[in-house]
Amino acid sequence: MDSTIALFLAQDGITNGAIYALLGLSLVLVFTVTRVIFIPQGEFVAYGALTLVGLETGVVPGTAYLTLVLGIAAFCVDLVRSPDGRQPRVLITRAVSDLGLPLVLLGLSGVVAPANMGPWITVPLAVALVAPMGAYIYRLAFRPLAQATVLTLLIAAVGVHLVMLGLGLVFFGAEGYRATPFTDVSLSLGVIDLGGQSLWVLGVTAVLIVTLWYAFGHTLAGKALRATSINRLGATLVGIPTARSGLIAFILAATLGAISGVLIAPITTIFYDSGFLIGLKGFVAAIIGGLVSYPISAAAAILVGLVEAFASFEASSFKEVIVFTIIIPVLLWQSLRSGHVDEEEE
Amino acid sequence: MSTPLLSAQTVAVSYGKIEAVLDVSLVIPKGRIITVIGANGAGKSSLLGSLMGILPLAGGSATFEGEPLDRVPVEQRVARGLCLVPEKRELFVTMSVAENLELGAYHRPRSEAKSSLEMVYDLFPRLLERRKQAAGTLSGGERQMLAMGRALMAKPKLLMLDEPSLGLAPRIVKEIFGLIGRLRDSGVSILLVEQNARGALRTADYAYVMETGQVTLQGPAADLAQDPRVIESYLGISGGDSSCSLPSSSVGATNP
Repeated sequence: MDSTIALFLAQDGITNGAIYALLGLSLVLVFTVTRVIFIPQGEFVAYGALTLVGLETGVVPGTAYLTLVLGIAAFCVDLVRSPDGRQPRVLITRAVSDLGLPLVLLGLSGVVAPANMGPWITVPLAVALVAPMGAYIYRLAFRPLAQATVLTLLIAAVGVHLVMLGLGLVFFGAEGYRATPFTDVSLSLGVIDLGGQSLWVLGVTAVLIVTLWYAFGHTLAGKALRATSINRLGATLVGIPTARSGLIAFILAATLGAISGVLIAPITTIFYDSGFLIGLKGFVAAIIGGLVSYPISAAAAILVGLVEAFASFEASSFKEVIVFTIIIPVLLWQSLRSGHVDEEEE
Repeated sequence: MSTPLLSAQTVAVSYGKIEAVLDVSLVIPKGRIITVIGANGAGKSSLLGSLMGILPLAGGSATFEGEPLDRVPVEQRVARGLCLVPEKRELFVTMSVAENLELGAYHRPRSEAKSSLEMVYDLFPRLLERRKQAAGTLSGGERQMLAMGRALMAKPKLLMLDEPSLGLAPRIVKEIFGLIGRLRDSGVSILLVEQNARGALRTADYAYVMETGQVTLQGPAADLAQDPRVIESYLGISGGDSSCSLPSSSVGATNP
């Protein structure tokens, strides 16, 4: 391997690592706030990517209908379940967020898809179509289980993953697709060309990470989210609605997943089931961060990306194995360091 | 008489089949310190938890400022002026002291929170010194101060304190009880749950004694402090009013 190849692999690794970083951060966020190990994170990536492809090729993507169906389901479930849900004011807010929003998005998709609009329209719309799913899925699958153990929540997460995977196959078919790059520009750095899409990936990731860092460190809403993850009872007692914190975490996770999806759609061919493996690599990063540390997870994500890139060059048939092997020494080290940890302090 | 701030009628709390609180009724008038004393496991914390809304009521009802509290979620109780400082403090340990306090005023406008913050720093100068430190690095007494400070940031009308003296050095305990008196004087009503009967009875205006989930005695705190049954069970045979200590530990500090 000469230095040009090494540089090329490093570029590839860092680009993918940036995506894994976004997913790892989402997983840490969701876990710390709601204790859900969010297996379906990767599905949002595939949904985001394939929704974008749909909008580009002139088809109203299935996700537009799915978001509406989930919105209706969430609306109905809350109508039955929540005690104050029948007050007119609450009812109107819910109708707007659960029925109005997906209908508007569906309508927009109907306009945008056939019109062959550029990425400035299709990309945000693709993200907007997927993001509300996070909220609906949380309300349908996880909020009723808020008091359950981590294991129960994990099983629910696996269930949601399988459902989303199946729906992905129904809506997008078994074929793989690739979106057109956002730009044709590329940056020449000495011997290698930095592709325009890679720059987009790195730029957007950097902006998102800085934004999240600012929001969590310097805004009341962000601090409330952190407080919920540090001490749920304490957060409840100061009047933070912890269910809403969970909702925000899931919306953020879906948004970050969808953004990851649209960013990589022009680089990799995405199948309906590609998301799982991508999400799993974000998960490796999150595990290295102990499912609690954002900076360690982000750094680990870049490492995962680099290992993957070099492994695919040196031993391509073993590349997944090598990536997932990283997790073993980390788990060993963490279990040695922390000894036995009780699942929940009651 | 005006409506009491909080009134609970035949409240019951249970954990599965275990009944922690049975038919407890109490009234908290405005501007008073009411204490509930009793041994460990008498159901005092469960009573507070149910009034705060973190534990479901198995029976009975409660009103706050005349409005029924059933089905009111915790965050709305906080917004209405009901605050609980739990026994375990439940601080945000990896966040700074200032952030903990800021979150205490979560549901209030930022401008109002600012004046409350000055008030809290005034009450607890130690917190001002440590405002940038993580809450987890504080000593036991400082944690209790932070927990109380965080609750005061919500501008409570009724502050419920669960064992504020637990695990603290006698000197700090006296400081905390002194502070509770000052808070009452500034208009905050207080429901004080304590095992430290001596300190609680001296600070409070009115007292309830709880045993195995039920109220067995009640009356003005000064009267209860003289009641032979209370003296025998909670103040020790030596009785009198000479010390301020945890019931099971040795007498650590004497009264000036």
